[in-house]
Amino acid sequence: MRKSPVTESPAGTSPAGTSPAGAGPAANPVTSGTNPVAGPVISPVTGPGAPEPATATPVFSVEGLWKVFGPKSDRVPGSDLAELPAAELRERTGCTAAVRDVSFDVRKGEVFVVMGLSGSGKSTLVRCLTRLIEPTSGTVAIDGEDILSMDRSRLRELRRHRAAMVFQHFGLLPHRTVVDNVAYGLEIQGMGRAERRAKAAEVVTKVGLEGMEDRKPGQLSGGQQQRVGLARALAVDPEVLLFDEPFSALDPLIRRDMQEEVIRLHREEGRTMIFITHDLNEALRLGDRIALMRDGRIVQLGTPEEIVGAPADDYVRDFVRDVPREQVLTVRSAMRPPSGGEAESGPALAPGATVSEAIEAVARTGGPVRVVDAGRCLGVVDHEGLLSVVAGVPVGKAAA
Amino acid sequence: MTAAVTAPARPRTPVAARRYWPVAAALVLAALGLLLAGRGSWPAALSVDLSGPLGSASDWIVDNRDSHPLFLYFFGHVSNAVVLSVRGVYLVLLAAGWAGVTAAAGLVAWRLAGVRLAVTAVAAFAVCGLLGMWVPTMQTLALMVVAVAASVALGAVLGLAAGLSDRTYRALRPVLDTMQVLPAFAYLLPVVLVFGIGVPAAVLATVVYAAPPMARLTALGLRSADPGVLEAAASLGATGRQRLLTARIPLARKELLLGVNQSIMMALSMAVIASVIGAGGLGDRVYQALASVDVGAALAAGIPIVLLAVVLDRTATGARSRGGSGRAWTGCAAAVVAAALTGRLTGGLTWPEAWHVDIAEPVNRAVDWMTAHLYSGVPLIGGTADWAAHFTGWVLDPVRDGLQALPWWALLMAVGALALVVGTWRTALTAVGAMAAIGVLGVWDASLDTLSQVLAAVAVTLVLGFGIAVGAARSTRLERLLRPVLDVFQTMPQFVYLIPVVALFGVGRAPAVAAAVVYALPAVVRITTQGLRGVDPVALESARSLGATGWQQLRQVQFPLARPALLLAVNQAVVLVLAVVIIGGLVGGGALGYDVVFGLAQGDLATGLVAGAAIVCLGLMLDRVTQPTAEKEA
Repeated sequence: MRKSPVTESPAGTSPAGTSPAGAGPAANPVTSGTNPVAGPVISPVTGPGAPEPATATPVFSVEGLWKVFGPKSDRVPGSDLAELPAAELRERTGCTAAVRDVSFDVRKGEVFVVMGLSGSGKSTLVRCLTRLIEPTSGTVAIDGEDILSMDRSRLRELRRHRAAMVFQHFGLLPHRTVVDNVAYGLEIQGMGRAERRAKAAEVVTKVGLEGMEDRKPGQLSGGQQQRVGLARALAVDPEVLLFDEPFSALDPLIRRDMQEEVIRLHREEGRTMIFITHDLNEALRLGDRIALMRDGRIVQLGTPEEIVGAPADDYVRDFVRDVPREQVLTVRSAMRPPSGGEAESGPALAPGATVSEAIEAVARTGGPVRVVDAGRCLGVVDHEGLLSVVAGVPVGKAAA
Repeated sequence: MTAAVTAPARPRTPVAARRYWPVAAALVLAALGLLLAGRGSWPAALSVDLSGPLGSASDWIVDNRDSHPLFLYFFGHVSNAVVLSVRGVYLVLLAAGWAGVTAAAGLVAWRLAGVRLAVTAVAAFAVCGLLGMWVPTMQTLALMVVAVAASVALGAVLGLAAGLSDRTYRALRPVLDTMQVLPAFAYLLPVVLVFGIGVPAAVLATVVYAAPPMARLTALGLRSADPGVLEAAASLGATGRQRLLTARIPLARKELLLGVNQSIMMALSMAVIASVIGAGGLGDRVYQALASVDVGAALAAGIPIVLLAVVLDRTATGARSRGGSGRAWTGCAAAVVAAALTGRLTGGLTWPEAWHVDIAEPVNRAVDWMTAHLYSGVPLIGGTADWAAHFTGWVLDPVRDGLQALPWWALLMAVGALALVVGTWRTALTAVGAMAAIGVLGVWDASLDTLSQVLAAVAVTLVLGFGIAVGAARSTRLERLLRPVLDVFQTMPQFVYLIPVVALFGVGRAPAVAAAVVYALPAVVRITTQGLRGVDPVALESARSLGATGWQQLRQVQFPLARPALLLAVNQAVVLVLAVVIIGGLVGGGALGYDVVFGLAQGDLATGLVAGAAIVCLGLMLDRVTQPTAEKEA
């Protein structure tokens, strides 16, 4: 549904399914830039260094969060021990720091991806958000309300109504039918049987499981089970959806379907999502912003374009090496100021269009293409600029 | 043999040397001790005579049973509640009449396990009636219903506590583990001490015996619940209670039902044995008949026990896979009431006299004929009594005399060394402690007598069991043939094994050993077969691809890889054999079992209690010596 004629055209740049943006850069580049929830890659990125739009209080606000496992773990954060590498910390104290001094804000309506390899602390981090794992120190707030100081009943309220989670291994109740599994969250809230089943049936339809209401989880495929898990989280109509590597256990094709499903849900409902994954392609595909974690720390936090276009260090650079840059980076990174009469005429692209889309436009016209935002020409892209982006060489240097 | 085949054996030597030096040392010391000290029973100076204090304690209890507040306000109420509920269930069963009870059994079996079992259940109850055992069957059933209800409730509460609290689990687990290995006889005396002989004592002994499996399995089920599901429930904001009721308990359903199943089977086993302390019913008939060596009467009461066991086990197993809707159950209840009313209107409530079939007479005639023709003097193979005599004379006596001739300290060392080899220093300490306690209790010789029977029976069981298991593991057809036999044998209460051996071998130590072998054999065969069949097929295939013969595969791949299963089989053999060897005291097995029976029969609780304590120690020692610890396996 998000596949544009541009990427699927014979001039398409990569085989579907292997590239991060295989189904990526969406429909009409000109309209996509104005749709704030249309999808990850074409979201209204303002480009590296540009000031973020100042919205109201962030949904989740995490500040200096630590989670240390082990004996007397609370002495680690803030002490000299905090700076030790993992192996030495373990040797000296017997503790393991899963999350180290992590800070970030999640804005309303965005898909915030936490990405890292196994053992990087990402799953621990997401569990700290609703205190499924008790953080060691730091602050976590939802809509400005401190979560760590919540008492048990307030915390239950948070889990029941405000943040629902989807798990890697689904966590379904094997003895209940699909509809009863979906209604489980509502049952916990104390909703009556008829009401919750009616509501659950709606959600079951929404995730595309109609007709399977009375099956048991054991009779479903992995993808279908995860749809049940997703429906269960959606049924309680939470403010934030938390995904803990929800599609890692699924086959690649099913995984793609499910990613489409999430993108569709996000577009339809605009719900805030925090998404944990170890799959870079998934992160680039879904994320409005990505926090890349390593050894418990966030090594880089930014839009997919920033991560791919301006890796913060060698680790990140290594990580994104194989990403087809032209499908992630926007034309902004390839722009140069217009010279002569270039600003007045010629084909136009939105600033959110990807480099790969610009390549097609440039190839078709044979000359430079304007980047136009709200009728104003921001700059132009030509062969050289686009090539240097694909090659990973700073724009302008190749020409110089 | 090629070098490639012999090579793997070589690097084991240093490890083996390290592991077995305690045995070697113990053997050397034992030999030395034999030379220096000669016969060495436990020294009288080191033993404590408990019969005095125990006797006065039991006298005190008997004197104060009707006046002391502890009895008036606690044990008295417990006792009354038990008596009332057993009588209540019994009256309900009688009021339902044979038609009602049989209909109920058939319908429950049908709902839970299908038509075939329903037919079996109806037939089983009909046979109980035909054999003239209707009333004793109902007595046993009434006692069972109360005991099972109580032990399931008690077990579930304990299991819930252990499943939810780590501390309770750590405290409870060793107790439950130990209770699991103790012979049923060990439970009889303490309850008799408090409640006196009668139905309350029998029910409570049964509850104590049958509750541990329920507790264990409940705790296991609650603990093994998928953490992902529990986390999901927590993430949705479930309270602890909601989590328990909607996730943990439903997830543990399989274990809970298995626990109920095991509790039922243990309760049946114990309810029959508890006839020795006044349970009445079928067990009592068997007990009385065995006491007068009336095999026919014993068999008439034994058959209903076996049928009851089979029907109960299959029904409980069926319940694990099926449930049932409420409406169907209402229909069944209506049908039962209808059947009961029809039975009441058309005929009597108890099974009609005219329909009795007396099997005691013909069976006894057959046994007499056997006694006359098979007991001895059969050409070439000898007679069964000859075999028993030879087994006693050539195996049991030398082993017993040998054990008793060993100096006590050498025996303690041997036990410790053995425990060190299979376990840790802690198991060794427990084993040696238990063995020393037997000496201190002053029943050293009797215990060694029992031990000699156990060792002989275990040896026979293992030889037969491993042989059959190897056959079953190699031939699928043999395994298919064996499976139903093993199923039936494993569900039968220990007590009924005494009936056929008395018929064949008369009374004495040899029949007790034979009964123990027959009782322990199915478990050993089953565990070993499963172990051998569970061997990684890839390892076996690679051995085959290297051209190993069947024997080489067995010896070099299957046995080493199935080692944990084999060790478990040995452990089970020891535990099961001990249980029956003790009960063998009823058919002339002598030793500790006889002391317990004697103590009960003569009202000499002190003797019985000391013997019971020795049984506990012996069980503990044998279990520890044969139980490889988890740390060592890991």
